[in-house]
Amino acid sequence: MPRRLPSFDAARGPALEVRIADSSVRAYADESIAAAAIAAGARVLSRSLKYHRPRTFFCLEGHCSGCLVRLGGVPNLRACQAPCSAGAEIEGQNAFPSAEVDLLGAVDFLFSRGLDHHTLMTGSSMLNRLANKVVRQLSGLGKLPAHAATQLPDVAERSIDVCVIGAGPAGLAAALACAQAGRSTLLVDDQLRPGGSMRADPRASATTQMGTGRERAELALAQAIKAGVSVLSRATAIGFFPEDDDGVLAVAAPEQLHRVKARAWIWATGGYPVNLPFTDNDRPGVIAARAVGRLLVDHGILGGDKVCVVEVPEVADDAAVLAQALGAAGADVVRVPLAQALGARGRSWVTAVDTSNGRVDCDLVAVAAIPSPASEGPRQQGCKVTLDPARGGFLVVVDDRGRTSTAGVWACGDVTGYIGPARAADDGARVGANVAGSL
Amino acid sequence: MARKIMICRCEDVTLADLEHCVTRGYKDIEEVKRYTGFGTGPCQGKECLAPMATHLARLTMVEPAKIRPFTSRPPLAPTPIKILARAPDAHRFDDDPGDE
Repeated sequence: MPRRLPSFDAARGPALEVRIADSSVRAYADESIAAAAIAAGARVLSRSLKYHRPRTFFCLEGHCSGCLVRLGGVPNLRACQAPCSAGAEIEGQNAFPSAEVDLLGAVDFLFSRGLDHHTLMTGSSMLNRLANKVVRQLSGLGKLPAHAATQLPDVAERSIDVCVIGAGPAGLAAALACAQAGRSTLLVDDQLRPGGSMRADPRASATTQMGTGRERAELALAQAIKAGVSVLSRATAIGFFPEDDDGVLAVAAPEQLHRVKARAWIWATGGYPVNLPFTDNDRPGVIAARAVGRLLVDHGILGGDKVCVVEVPEVADDAAVLAQALGAAGADVVRVPLAQALGARGRSWVTAVDTSNGRVDCDLVAVAAIPSPASEGPRQQGCKVTLDPARGGFLVVVDDRGRTSTAGVWACGDVTGYIGPARAADDGARVGANVAGSL
Repeated sequence: MARKIMICRCEDVTLADLEHCVTRGYKDIEEVKRYTGFGTGPCQGKECLAPMATHLARLTMVEPAKIRPFTSRPPLAPTPIKILARAPDAHRFDDDPGDE
C-alpha cells in the first residue's frame, strides 16, 4: 500500500479535504490531486478507449493519458497537473457503472486476440453496420462539461530575447546563464512546480550539500528568478506558428494564452517516461520509475511496500539509485531486467511480475526505460531529429555549441538524447551561455 | 484483463496490432498511425511514438536512423478551447465574414 512518510510531514503544505468518487480524502495544498489520490489508495481512475482496460497513473508529469479525471464538472483533466484545493470534486470517467467495476471491460475478453476496427464483423454487411454503431456508443472520452465557460481569457503578448521551454535541470541552468548575461529571458514550464526531473531524482548532492532533488529544484528556481528570469509555470508550449508575425510560440497557461516572440529559442523539454514491452504492461500499478521517484522525492510518498523495478541496461544507474532510496524508505525492492520480465499479474492492481526466474510478488512495478526525447516542439520549428533507440527515441540533433538545424533554435539536456539530471544542468549552463553570446 | 502487450495506452494499440499492420503491408510510420490509430489519443504520441518507431525498425529491418517521426501538429497537449477563443487570426482570407 502507498503511504506518506512521516519524515516528510514538516515539508507538506496545509492539510485539506478533497472528494474522490464520493469519499472524502485528506490532501495537502502543495500537492497534486494525483499524489493525494495515490496516498489515499485510489486505484482505477478510468477505462481505456477500445478494450475498456483499467487506467490510472503512469508518468505523473502530465504527458500520458493515464490519470484523466472529471474535476469540478470538467472532463479529461490530468489529475497529476491539478493542484489540490479544499472541496475539489474528482470523478472517474469513461466507465459504467464505475471505473473500478466496468461492465464494458467484457470487450477486452471478447476480443482477447485484438479488435481490428477496420474489419468489424465484415462477414455480414448488416452485422458490420450494427457493430460499428455499438462501437461508436462505447468509444469517446468523458462527457461534456457541466457548464459552458463563462469568461473567455485575454491573450498576452510577450516579446523577449530568449525563450527557454522546459524548467528541468537543463532549462533552469540555461535560463540562468542567459539572464546573467543580461538577456531578457522567459522560462516556460508545464508542471505544477518547475524543476522537472530534479524533483524525481533521489540522489543526494555531494557537492552542494543541498539534499534531495526537490531542494535542488527550489534553489535553482530561486537563483533563476533572482537573476531576472521571468517564469511562466503551469504553461504548456502548444504550438509554433512560423507564418504568424515571423514566428509565434503559443503557450497555454490555465487561464491565459501567451503569444511569445523571441530572438532565440532554447528547447529544454527533456524526455518523457515510456513503458517497456512485457505482457499486461498497462496493468494499474505498473508506473514509470521516475514517477515512483517523484512520489518519494517531491511528495514524501512511498508508492508501495514491495516494489519490482523492471529495467533496461541503459538506465541501470538511475534504477540502482531509485532502488536504494526506496529501500531506505522501508520498501522491499527487487530489480528485474526487461529481458527476464514475462508479464504483470493482478486484477485492478498489480500483485506480481512473472520472470524467467520465477514469480516476484509486489504491489508496485517501477518501469525504468530510457526517457523519450520531447522533440515535437523543435520538430514544429523544423529542427532535424533522428531516431536513436539507445538514447530514448527521436532526439534533436545539435552541434557542439547546442545549435539545432534551424537558425536561432537551440536545444540542451535530455531532448538531445538522454543524459540524466546531473549532466543536463551542466549542458544547460553551457548552451545558455552560448545563446547569450550569440545575440 | 486478457493478455496483451500495450504500446499505445491512449488508443489501446498492442504489439500484436503493429505486427498485424506490418504483415498487411503498412510499414511507414504515418501508415501505421492511420491504420492502428496509435499516437492519436490525448498524449499525442508522447508515450508511444519512440517505442512504436523502435519496434517498427526491428520488424521491418530498417535502420532506425532512416525512420522519420510522424508530423507534429499543434496543439502539443490537451488544451481547453476557451484558451484559444480570443487569439487573433493569423490569416484572413478574402471570403472571411469578419468579426463584426
